[in-house]
Amino acid sequence: MSEQAVAHKAPQGIDPRGPRFAAGITSLLLLIDVLLGLTGLSTAQDASGAWALPAATLAERILDPAFLLLLVIALLFLWGVLAPRTAPWGVLYRKLVQPRLAKPTELEDPRPPRFAQGVGLFVAALGLILQLAGVPWALPIAAAAAFMAAFLNAVFGLCLGCELYLVLQRFGLIGRKTAVTA
Amino acid sequence: MLTVLLVATVGLGVTLKWRQSRPQRDIPHEVVEPERLGADSLGEEATLLQYSTELCARCPGVHRTLAAVADARPGVRHLDIDLTHRPDIAKHFHVMQTPTTLILDSDGIVQTRFGGVPNREVLELELTRLTGETANV
Repeated sequence: MSEQAVAHKAPQGIDPRGPRFAAGITSLLLLIDVLLGLTGLSTAQDASGAWALPAATLAERILDPAFLLLLVIALLFLWGVLAPRTAPWGVLYRKLVQPRLAKPTELEDPRPPRFAQGVGLFVAALGLILQLAGVPWALPIAAAAAFMAAFLNAVFGLCLGCELYLVLQRFGLIGRKTAVTA
Repeated sequence: MLTVLLVATVGLGVTLKWRQSRPQRDIPHEVVEPERLGADSLGEEATLLQYSTELCARCPGVHRTLAAVADARPGVRHLDIDLTHRPDIAKHFHVMQTPTTLILDSDGIVQTRFGGVPNREVLELELTRLTGETANV
């Protein structure tokens, strides 16, 4: 016997391999960004050992390659949150990869990957803002954190986003507005 | 530096995966009352109590697995509780990740706990141990 004690309306399912494919590309981009951050302005020191970033102008902080790439990644995350159906990696997956694979054995709720995109956006935005504020190392560390989450999703299928959702909920930060119906 | 990051990430992934498929047995004695969860009764022999949330990628797959396991065994019932709007239950059972699956015996006492996606064979063995029947996996 099996039953859903509290039923919920689920939107139409998506192929779970799509978000994992997207996470693979995202993790590769983030790894490149960590490399750029480690070799770029974010972690640079002058001859006396002082950080170069606080001394740099705002334009220099923005034109740092690591900043620009993370900005692109953050915009892609934003796209994934606002319109997951049209996000580039998802479209690429459906056009090029999915037709070559067997049909998915099961479909997935599209909301968890979308929530995870929001978490990614938050982490990337934090790195960008701290870089603008002139905090050394913030950008590569944020990129590394986002990389770990994306990589775990792509390679191991582990959903850190949904676990974070539950932790936030336990502390009453989200999901409390809806009345308890059970 | 990049190598350290990659090794740490892979290590974390392997550890999490390994911990997820392992059952926990040292659980404080607790009798689950089905009414509190919004269900009418528990299984006669055992209950697979699954905790899910709306935003959980692995929960529907685990739901299907547990439903199939419960269907194949008389007296075993599968209950899937959506914790999205029930943080009180999540707090009470210290659910920090979904899915989390508890195996209850015929008295409703929590015997085994799985965090994450349970390994099906391990699950079947735990049930067999509980219900005392000969293995028919």
